[in-house]
Amino acid sequence: MRHWRQLGLLAPLALAGCSTDNIRLFHPDGVMGGLEFHYTLWITGIMLLIIVPTLLMTIIFPLRYHHTRNAKYTPDWHFSAPIEILAWVIPLGMVVVLAYMSVSAIYRIDPWTAPALASAPGAAQPPINVQVITTDWQWVFIYPDQKIATIDDLVVPAGRRINLTMTSTDVMNGFYIPQVAPMVDVMPAMISKDAFEIDHPAEFTGFSTDFSGAGFSWMQFKTRIVAQSDFDAWVKSVQANPDQLTYGVFTQKIAPAQVNYGATPSYFSVADTGIFGKVVMDAMNGKTYPVPDSLTKSVASNEGEAPASTAAK
Amino acid sequence: MQVAVDGPWTPLLGRLSLEAIPYTNPILIFTFAIAAIVGLVVVGSVLYFKKVGYIWREWLCSVDHKRIGVMYIILGLVMLFRGFIDGVMIRTQQAIAIGPNSPGYLGAAHGYLPPYHFDQIYSAHGTIMLIFAATPLLTGLGNVIVPLQVGARDMAFPYLNAVSLWLTVAGALLCMISLFVGEFSNATWVGLMPFAEMSSNPGVGVDYWMWALQVSSLGTTFNSINMIATIVKMRAPGMGWFRVPVFTWATMATAIIGLTAFPVLTAALCMLGLDRYVGTHFFTAGMGGNYMLYINLFWTWGHPEVYFLMLPAFGLISEIVSTFSSKALFGYPTMIAASLGIAGVGWVVWAHHFFTMGMGPNLIGFFSAATMIVGIPTGVKAFNWIFTMYRGRITLATPMLWAITAIVLLLLGGITGMMLSASVVDYTVHDSVFVVAHFHCMVLVIGAGIFAAVTYWWPKVFGFKLNETLGQWFFWTFVLASVLVFIPMFQAGLDGETRRLDYLFDTSLRPLMLAEVTGMGMYFVSLFCFLAMLVVSLVKREPAGQDPWGTARSLEWLTHTPVPFYNFAVTPQVHALDELAWRRANGLEKAQPERYVPIHMPSSSGLPFIIGMLSFVCTFALVWRIWWLAGASLLAVILLVIIRSFDKNEGYVLSADTIAEMERKLHTVSLIAEQSKVLPVGGQVEAH
Amino acid sequence: MASHTQAGADVVLWNASADAHDNISARTYGFWLYLLSDALIIAAVVACYAVLDNPLNAAGGPLGNQFLSASKGLVQTFLVLGSVLSYSLATVALKRGNKLGVGLGMVGAILLAVLFLGIGMGDLAALSAAGNGFARSGYLSCFFTLIVTHALHMGFGILWMLVMLVQIGVFGFTENVVARLLNLRMFWQFQASVWVVVYIYVYLFGGAH
Ligand code: HEA
Ligand code: HEA
Ligand code: CUA
Ligand SMILES: [Cu+2]
Repeated sequence: MRHWRQLGLLAPLALAGCSTDNIRLFHPDGVMGGLEFHYTLWITGIMLLIIVPTLLMTIIFPLRYHHTRNAKYTPDWHFSAPIEILAWVIPLGMVVVLAYMSVSAIYRIDPWTAPALASAPGAAQPPINVQVITTDWQWVFIYPDQKIATIDDLVVPAGRRINLTMTSTDVMNGFYIPQVAPMVDVMPAMISKDAFEIDHPAEFTGFSTDFSGAGFSWMQFKTRIVAQSDFDAWVKSVQANPDQLTYGVFTQKIAPAQVNYGATPSYFSVADTGIFGKVVMDAMNGKTYPVPDSLTKSVASNEGEAPASTAAK
Repeated sequence: MQVAVDGPWTPLLGRLSLEAIPYTNPILIFTFAIAAIVGLVVVGSVLYFKKVGYIWREWLCSVDHKRIGVMYIILGLVMLFRGFIDGVMIRTQQAIAIGPNSPGYLGAAHGYLPPYHFDQIYSAHGTIMLIFAATPLLTGLGNVIVPLQVGARDMAFPYLNAVSLWLTVAGALLCMISLFVGEFSNATWVGLMPFAEMSSNPGVGVDYWMWALQVSSLGTTFNSINMIATIVKMRAPGMGWFRVPVFTWATMATAIIGLTAFPVLTAALCMLGLDRYVGTHFFTAGMGGNYMLYINLFWTWGHPEVYFLMLPAFGLISEIVSTFSSKALFGYPTMIAASLGIAGVGWVVWAHHFFTMGMGPNLIGFFSAATMIVGIPTGVKAFNWIFTMYRGRITLATPMLWAITAIVLLLLGGITGMMLSASVVDYTVHDSVFVVAHFHCMVLVIGAGIFAAVTYWWPKVFGFKLNETLGQWFFWTFVLASVLVFIPMFQAGLDGETRRLDYLFDTSLRPLMLAEVTGMGMYFVSLFCFLAMLVVSLVKREPAGQDPWGTARSLEWLTHTPVPFYNFAVTPQVHALDELAWRRANGLEKAQPERYVPIHMPSSSGLPFIIGMLSFVCTFALVWRIWWLAGASLLAVILLVIIRSFDKNEGYVLSADTIAEMERKLHTVSLIAEQSKVLPVGGQVEAH
Repeated sequence: MASHTQAGADVVLWNASADAHDNISARTYGFWLYLLSDALIIAAVVACYAVLDNPLNAAGGPLGNQFLSASKGLVQTFLVLGSVLSYSLATVALKRGNKLGVGLGMVGAILLAVLFLGIGMGDLAALSAAGNGFARSGYLSCFFTLIVTHALHMGFGILWMLVMLVQIGVFGFTENVVARLLNLRMFWQFQASVWVVVYIYVYLFGGAH
């Protein structure tokens, strides 16, 4: 990992007893995740330069000047222009540096356009477009170019830029694959975007981060990055799937409230590539998907009945 | 006109019916039983000791700022306890419900709380802790301290002060009754839009949340007006702006936020109410609504709100650090500039709560940088406290321990806050428990400031000190518990644990969850120490003198302990920033007035209490859509206000002789207290 | 009441005349603070209006420039300003302690305000009747709310004036009554400035015909 050396910046944390091995976000993957981690380390490290001494003084002074110690005592010393100036200027300088880093970082990461990906190897090929729709409470991934769709399973080829276009049926969710892609809100009647690229096969778990109701805790999706050839084969097999996702199927069967315990995936072939746009328009025209009481007030007791709950993860 | 509600509605009872009472839920039955028992014991003992009249006259009708302050603090502690129990339920649920094979109890598939119930619990926890625990505790402390610190007889508007209190109580009652009648909001403390609209949330929960926030924020706005007017208009002669004690300055900065930020919340909630009640489209996703508008409005209030809470805590810490360092506060002028700066910059940073919504790099960059700027004045505060301790003569009494802890927590919460303010970092931990850990560090700064202040000013209000040994036990157990709960939470956040989960799919989090739940156990120990401290101190009652700490500096320590209802027999003339320290240095701290003049006092009145209770009835009726009752109680409030404006009672006058007589008695009492201080432990007051 | 410092200098430690705070000034100041917070409520609503005044948020319904009449709004503006003028005349009479003058000025202010409300509410009713009620679109929700918020302020002011008419009769010009009359003046001017802002922003900038 090229960030291993920078971990040294976090030495104080490590000293405090936490090993970084099992902290997931310390092991990013791909350009986007890597950049995020890079900035996290620098920003935190720079701040530690001032926070640690301050912390030490806060703890040492009460002991050093404890009344039993008879240390030097200056009861009337209550102002010093040089110290006050430093008290303002040092943090100010630090904020200038931090703000500069933060602002330049956002211009590299910005999920809408992902400038950082422009120089990644995948830029040589056309991106893979995926439309993401969150329902209460599942993830629908539509591949308009491949004319396929999945539920709760995001399969993409390695070494290609993935462009996500997202919307939601009626409440907000958050799209997030830790280590891989920046978190972005998924909003009804609006379109948001995200992008990532991973250069080797891998598996991650994505989930919703913005609370959206009773089934929210179960809103995970598998993220599988596979070799290009495996991806092509997979696309073929899904295209052959007799289950067709149409707008009707979507609004009748998928968008209504449903908890997918254990995030069991399903796959569809798609003839109608306008579903995404229709979902956005629907929401703008005031369509909502009221959640039946059976899924809010007693969602837990339903879980036993759902066959998916026994499926191994 | 009216939005159709699902389920039955009758003109007489609105949506209210027996079904609204969750008598099938064992947890709620248990809670109800406890509440009923506690309630019966309280009411019973009031009746038994024939104290009904006393409580009505001396407390419920009181317009005395100290009594009102104490009532605020009691409300805050009770709600803190309620919020704590919610916290316990959150933590135990998450400790059990990990992975698909985790056990389920009481009808829940995992853990013992079905999602719908769990969501209400943390929504209530957040709302209650911020609005009905921290706010009343700080407002209460401000009420007690500020008029004394500026040498006033009372707040500028004593009646309005009482109205503010009872409006806050009305909101708190609304939160509490939602436990037993109906349900609370499951849309989080911020009210997620469009999730909190009728289409996703047709029940009464969101209405409870909305009205509770609405009435209490009205109370807070009134209180802010009152504070500013008191500080601007009621200062003792000689107290120019640069002699105003630092806590009073902090309260001033906070009241400015209160006055300007809360109206935005009022407006946002009114619009939400219109959406939910008459079917407008402010925040719906469709029909031309714009829910991002709500998110912006909410945080335009919500972010200043956290500084609204933090600034008074900073003020408390400043007073305490300087007292227990036996040294004037370092850098007083920049301290004030920093407070005002935080209040000011706090206004332009709200969008850091939704970096992930995609504002585009320009706006994100602006809000990111603006947020970081707050670190500068906050840092100045930290440095000034540190230099106050530098070359001081420090006593590590309980208040000082709390204050130092508050500084440490501020640094921890501050560095994590600054991380979040960098949007790239926020893209990885937004809406994770890392954020939860960040702000609990911060609210624990407030908590530590409050515990410090309660211990510090307690003797001034009640005339005796809190037990020091048990106070230290409370302190250490509380700190240990907080470390156990919130340090693992940082790691869980860096593991990607989302907030607001009633079920964790990620089984690798189990050890962290166990550490956190152990911390909750530790909190119980500390709660026990707290209660033991109260009981032991009450029983022992070691009387405290005028300045029980010996090194206090500001005006409130100049008058008797406990403070008589008229505060100062004669208004003091102020000569220095730390008036008491100045008088002590000049050997004048014992000087008493030689001549008294009559004092004009406001008479107490039951009206504020009645207005508060009517507001409770009105909002309760609105929650259940009982239109006639809502209308009738609103009308009653308006009529009462009009009737009161015809009341010619303009208070009463305390004659100079009465004051002389009372002062003589008080003087004897404080002499006794002074003497008992030199008695060996155990040499008790009864002897006198 | 002088005491001696250790240095021997005479200092005044207690100030027996400090209690005589100016009551009216504190009350006026407090009320002014209240108006400040009220102004922020209005500002929030106006800000929402600015956001929602947009074809997207009209959801196919009309925007203000399709139904608002600038000339009618101007008439309303004159009514409001006339009402304020009438109240100011009442304040002039108050300075001379002339009960009748104060009463007449306030009655005049009330009448003009009622006329204003009649026009405004009539417009809203007509708009609703044409199928463009507040539930039609996000834009219309905010438009109705803005107008009604101002109208509620006016209604509250009218109620207050009625109460004051009675109080002047019952008490005459006591300190309390005078303080209230002065606060009411501030409130009435505030209400008028809100309307002027609404008129300029919604009617004129909004492109009403
Ligand atoms: C009293 C409460 C309080 C306080 C004081 C703060 C203070 C700060 N907060 Fe916090 N915050 C909350 C309560 C508080 N916060 C709450 C409740 C939430 C979540 C709400 C929700 O979603 O439910 C939240 C969320 C929150 C977020 C959104 C996170 C997200 O949802 O993704 C952000 C992002 O910027 C943030 C940042 C900050 C910053 C930069 C400060 C700064 O003010 C901190 C400044 C302090 C220091 C920096 C330390 C001392 C300084 C020095 C020693 C000087 C030198 C140091 C440097 C210059 C680095 N906070
Ligand atoms: C002032 C604010 C405040 C305070 C003090 C606290 C205190 C605590 N909170 Fe709080 N919390 C919030 C504000 C606060 N919280 C907010 C705003 C949220 C977000 C909600 C949302 O997502 O919508 C939240 C969410 C939240 C969560 C996250 C839920 C989730 O999203 O997954 C958790 C989980 O552990 C939690 C736990 C705790 C714990 C353990 C404490 C402990 O520190 C409690 C310690 C307290 C005590 C030990 C009580 C001591 C009591 C007394 C001394 C009084 C005794 C008096 C009598 C008996 C009369 N809180
Ligand atoms: Cu938030 Cu669009
Ligand atoms: Cu904030």
